[in-house]
Amino acid sequence: MSDSPMFWRIVRRLITANYGRLFVILLALGAGAGITSALLNLQIDANRRLTTEFRALGANVIVTPRDANANSSGGTLDQALLTGLPAENSGKPVPAVAFLYVIGAVAKAGEIHHQPAVIAGTEGQGLTQVRPGRRTEYSAELEKDPAACEIGAKAAAQFKVHVGDSLHLRNQGREATCKVFAMVAVGGAEDTQIFAKLATAQSLADLPGRISLIQLSVTGTPDSINRFISALSQRLPTADVHGIKQLAEAEGKLYNRISGLLTITVIIVLLLTSLCVMAGMSNVAMERKNDVGLMKAIGGSVRSVVRLFLAEAILMGIVGGLIGSAVGIVGSIWLGKTVFGVAAQPRWIVYPVSVGITTIVSIASAFPLRRLASVRPASVFRGEA
Amino acid sequence: MFLRLVADSFTRRPKRKMLTLAALALGVAVATAALSVSLDVGDRLAQEFRSLGANLLVTPEADSLPLEIGGVDYRPANAGAYLPEADLGKLKTIFWRFNIKAFAPILEVQVKANSFGGDSLVVPPPGPAYTVIGTWVKHEVKIPDGTTYVTGIEKTNPWWQLKEGRWFAEGKNECVIGKNLAAAMGTRLGELPGSGGVVAKDKLKPGSTLFTYTLNGHLGPKLHVVGILDTGGPEDNSIVVPLDIAQSLADKPGQYRRLYVSALTKPEDAFGRKDPKTMTPAEFDRWYCSPYISAIALQINQELKGTDVRVIRRVAEGEGTILTRVRTLLWLVTFAALLAAALAVGASAAASVIERRTEIGLMKALGAGSGLVGVLLAAEQLLVAFVGGGIGYAVGILLARLLGQKIFGFTPEPNLFLLFIVLVLASLITLLGSAYPLRRASQYDPAPILRGE
Repeated sequence: MSDSPMFWRIVRRLITANYGRLFVILLALGAGAGITSALLNLQIDANRRLTTEFRALGANVIVTPRDANANSSGGTLDQALLTGLPAENSGKPVPAVAFLYVIGAVAKAGEIHHQPAVIAGTEGQGLTQVRPGRRTEYSAELEKDPAACEIGAKAAAQFKVHVGDSLHLRNQGREATCKVFAMVAVGGAEDTQIFAKLATAQSLADLPGRISLIQLSVTGTPDSINRFISALSQRLPTADVHGIKQLAEAEGKLYNRISGLLTITVIIVLLLTSLCVMAGMSNVAMERKNDVGLMKAIGGSVRSVVRLFLAEAILMGIVGGLIGSAVGIVGSIWLGKTVFGVAAQPRWIVYPVSVGITTIVSIASAFPLRRLASVRPASVFRGEA
Repeated sequence: MFLRLVADSFTRRPKRKMLTLAALALGVAVATAALSVSLDVGDRLAQEFRSLGANLLVTPEADSLPLEIGGVDYRPANAGAYLPEADLGKLKTIFWRFNIKAFAPILEVQVKANSFGGDSLVVPPPGPAYTVIGTWVKHEVKIPDGTTYVTGIEKTNPWWQLKEGRWFAEGKNECVIGKNLAAAMGTRLGELPGSGGVVAKDKLKPGSTLFTYTLNGHLGPKLHVVGILDTGGPEDNSIVVPLDIAQSLADKPGQYRRLYVSALTKPEDAFGRKDPKTMTPAEFDRWYCSPYISAIALQINQELKGTDVRVIRRVAEGEGTILTRVRTLLWLVTFAALLAAALAVGASAAASVIERRTEIGLMKALGAGSGLVGVLLAAEQLLVAFVGGGIGYAVGILLARLLGQKIFGFTPEPNLFLLFIVLVLASLITLLGSAYPLRRASQYDPAPILRGE
């Protein structure tokens, strides 16, 4: 291009001629870019985070003996299964806890009168995750005790025990004691149970190395959880692996609803944000009528005039986009922290995408200038705007 | 003259004004759509969360410890306390009665059962013991105020779905069988001819007949199987019958043992978690009149005497955290939309003032004071704000309806209060956007402008 230095000089002049205008344009484009990148980043993060949030609902996958049915309480599994479970799904750890249930006679240590109660022996990581509840009393120190046990709120009221008290457990002549380290309100059958160490329950039931079931809390989208279940059932042919239907169905439905809601809202907001920025920018661009008239009067062709403004728009779009998107991504990290309590991970793909969108918006805003091609220089100079 | 000047600026250059108007309308549309979705979505999502099932569990207060493993209570039927079914209508009289979405009582009883194919006249011997769950399905509850309310287990536990057939009708000897039990139990079709005692069996299916016996072998009612139940839980191994049949099998007329309540609640915040006993009377009133799950539990406890109302924590807390997060997220998106709208509107307002320097110069040359020029331009901008705001509101409501329908299958109602807020916002933003250029414009010295400098 022979007039290249001239071309760029004019572009530079167009941009720097009026600092107020430059500021308005950069502000509009930058804010648009910032909102775009922040929302996109937050949206990607939220969809992923949502699956983690659902784990507040507790265990969603359960491994039971294949031949178990309600009337044969004899069905048990080998304890070794617990160690062979996958440690993570979708990059998140999978808490898994083995349970063995025994109906035994229980009393506060020192009292003679025993009452029947369900004793659940547990072993594994993350009992509080698979069995969410509210611990009304808790002592971290006592938890380290090798014979520590946790008691459901209703059972605690029945036996009149508190944290620090000891319980005497008995089943068919076999005996054990444990020290209460926590009291938990779950709002289900668990409230009436006593959670002891697995070994204690096994010795009470005389079932060494056996467990009743394993509960897992698997993080992931509904599809990924289903894949986890089918992969696990193939690995454990002796056991029945199934999702808890109550959670699986509700989670699937809620996940789709919420992520759909977010996606659609974000798309609409982005679309309208672009349109808003565009409308605002076009307004600014229309002001350029005089410049166009002058350029045409001194012999500029329509094409070269349009090219000038296009170059300006692209430059502004890139600069506004680069600044705004960077601010937006940093902002979304902070926003993620306020919403989910965990800083959102910046996705780098968001950066070029939002800079691209901003540039496109900026070019589209310059589009009304094409209509100025029909501007008659004479009428501009006469002031017939 | 003032009005004529304002009107003139609209009619003379409609295209420019249209552009400003479009920017404003779009901005307001985003704001309206986002605001009305955010305002409504909390309630809608709370409804959706009821698909997780009941969040409150009511049991007798003076109960012996239930020996429940895997959904089966191993206590003998005569142990433990029961609650009167007749009281249940009172649930719909508590302060937050409209937040009680559904409730269903449960009475479990161990029963022996056996089955012959078809409508056999021969009574089979008692089979092994099974768990029978008595409950409500589409039950009409009489409310003390004279009305009736229809509720049942399908609403409290939406994952109890029928694989085949239909739910039992109340007042009839009908039952629904868990899918595992249906497969395991089977119907005796009778001895195969010439096989020497080999019995042919078929899966229990709708149409089969089930004979029931008490645990000591006395013949009970004859039940028609009308459906196969799939819950994915312990109920898959049980027989589900109308509550009154379970009551007669257990010999506990008019009583139940467990009640599931599904209530719409507000996520518990720091205040909701406070112990009501430590609250001041004013705080207690505020807590009592907020639909916190703990407040609803207390109100149920006050109506149903001798009960222990417990919050099903996994459901209540899971719902609470997720709802709070989604809500915050939506407010954030709404705020972003408002910000974008404000910027666009501000930018176009600023541009339209800058562009009219000549006009302002001329007015001042003709003797208009800075104040008058400012008021004139501000009036124009306000007019644009109102027209654009109105159009934007209409578009935004349409958008919100579309959104609501797409995601939740409901349409948010147009909210007049929102129109007010949106118009105020639009005027404020327009004025703010044009404030600085207006101030500068009113300070213009007419002479250089008129000279075209």
